[in-house]
Amino acid sequence: MGEHCGTTMVRNASTSSSFCGSSLKRNMCPHPGVYAGMCMRCGQEMDDEFGVAFGYIHKKLRLASDEISRLRDKDLKNLLRDRKLYLILDLDHTLLHSAQFPDITVEEGYLHNQMDALPDNLKSSLFRVERMQMMTKLRPFVHSFLKEASNLFEMYIYTMGERPYALEMAKLLDPGDNYFSSRIIAQGDCTQRNQKGLDVVLGRESAVLILDDTEAVWGKHKENLLLMERYHFFASSCKEFGLNCKSLSQLKSDESETEGALPTVLKILQRIHNLFFDEERQNNLEDRDVRQVLKAVGKEVLKDCKVVFSRVFPTNFPAEQHTLWKMAEQLGATCSTEIDPSVTHVVSTDAGTYKSRWAVRENKYLVHPKWIEASKYMWRKQPEENFPISSHAKNK
Amino acid sequence: MFFHIVLERNMQLHPRHFGRDLRDKLVAKLMKDVEGTCSGRHGFIVAITGIESVGKGLIRDGTGFVTFPVKYQCVVFRPFKGEILEAVVTMVNKMGFFAEAGPVQIFVSNHLIPDDMEFQSGDMPNYTTSDGSVKIQKESEVRLKIIGTRVDATEIFCIGTIKDDFLGVISDPGATS
Repeated sequence: MGEHCGTTMVRNASTSSSFCGSSLKRNMCPHPGVYAGMCMRCGQEMDDEFGVAFGYIHKKLRLASDEISRLRDKDLKNLLRDRKLYLILDLDHTLLHSAQFPDITVEEGYLHNQMDALPDNLKSSLFRVERMQMMTKLRPFVHSFLKEASNLFEMYIYTMGERPYALEMAKLLDPGDNYFSSRIIAQGDCTQRNQKGLDVVLGRESAVLILDDTEAVWGKHKENLLLMERYHFFASSCKEFGLNCKSLSQLKSDESETEGALPTVLKILQRIHNLFFDEERQNNLEDRDVRQVLKAVGKEVLKDCKVVFSRVFPTNFPAEQHTLWKMAEQLGATCSTEIDPSVTHVVSTDAGTYKSRWAVRENKYLVHPKWIEASKYMWRKQPEENFPISSHAKNK
Repeated sequence: MFFHIVLERNMQLHPRHFGRDLRDKLVAKLMKDVEGTCSGRHGFIVAITGIESVGKGLIRDGTGFVTFPVKYQCVVFRPFKGEILEAVVTMVNKMGFFAEAGPVQIFVSNHLIPDDMEFQSGDMPNYTTSDGSVKIQKESEVRLKIIGTRVDATEIFCIGTIKDDFLGVISDPGATS
């Protein structure tokens, strides 16, 4: 095979002696990545399972871990210089809601009308995607949200839907192709089933924020996540999620354009962005971690609250491990199992318990657990009077 | 590189085509089946230029189909390692750029782009020299060298480089002053 003793030349050894412009011989090439089964630096044939697949950028592209780190570091420098971070956006129930034609109920039939016959708010936010036999409703404020967010973040779409669906939705959200370009990640790009991961995102984890209505899919990255309240427009999902109420489309209503989930979360994103890039802080931008900022902003919601729970946890359940306890702590509240004068709120499902009656007697706030959840979704402590126990209590 | 070669193929024809126009129908089917396909050995079959011979038809057992061995001349396109090609850029991103030379898709990674060219993101992502004199963006024409090829059923993929002398941008569609 030639006078290459001592070197392990592979079967494709070229008869020419050119080293293709790089000074590395093939067997010393670090193989940063693979395109169509060939090393992108030396052309050598590589294993099909090499590295991580980045099919959303190009279907034949795979990258080695070292190269991914190198690209992330390099990209972060550029992004920080432009005062930007990364924002990953989920589609369904976060930015929009889709329903197949067969699932549109009779009561929602008016949605099939011609555009001029639709109510004003739907004219520019309801779309028919004939080739997928479905309708899509964009969440109120979504265009303004994307426009503002694009000044602060490099944005990705990350959906558990399939690629053709993702691309159709991207056309609706970003008709000018200004926001996402090739950064559209779909179900087929995930490396683990039923889990979304930042391993296929070319951004350093410490600079990434995620907007999604589902926490469970982001198992490894909960600290980067801003949980969104689910957007249910069509009746189909009320059934799917077991909600016993009419949908927005059946009520001929919609989320508020000025006070809904998207404008609320935009303000929080702007806040986090400002705090991250704050010039008063001593350390280098590259050493900062947006997850810390997110955590700190979360803790402002219920700071100064001391919460005691009553008839909320099952007996013999370690209170500190309950979701609501942890949620309250993440929102900055102090939680306790025993009442004392410093307690500010009793969270209960039953107005007749000892703790509930104590709260009323001592003029403390007595609220239903939904008060904590609502404060979390709205990123602000909710008015306690809106969450009395009586309207939510189970009948004895 | 282009080649003009003779290839052979066994064409199967349904009895409804038998008649006066049998040969024409055979040729038409050949063109439909073969033009635009790829093979590992010959590359991309661009166009059939003529029929050299059509052999005796053989009736297949059990069906009425007849198989004709057809020898035909055609132009094929196949890139080779070490070959210099001109291509049009189709996409530019942080990892490098993708270009097309006819049916061949070529990827030039940033490892094989001269070090003095930096990636600029934005509306029209591009690679530019520090003085802005040379720019690679979508629709740019570049001269590159192939360092690896891979063929599958319908497509040919290549790895390319522009790090050698005389390689790089030929024409810049959005030339700035």
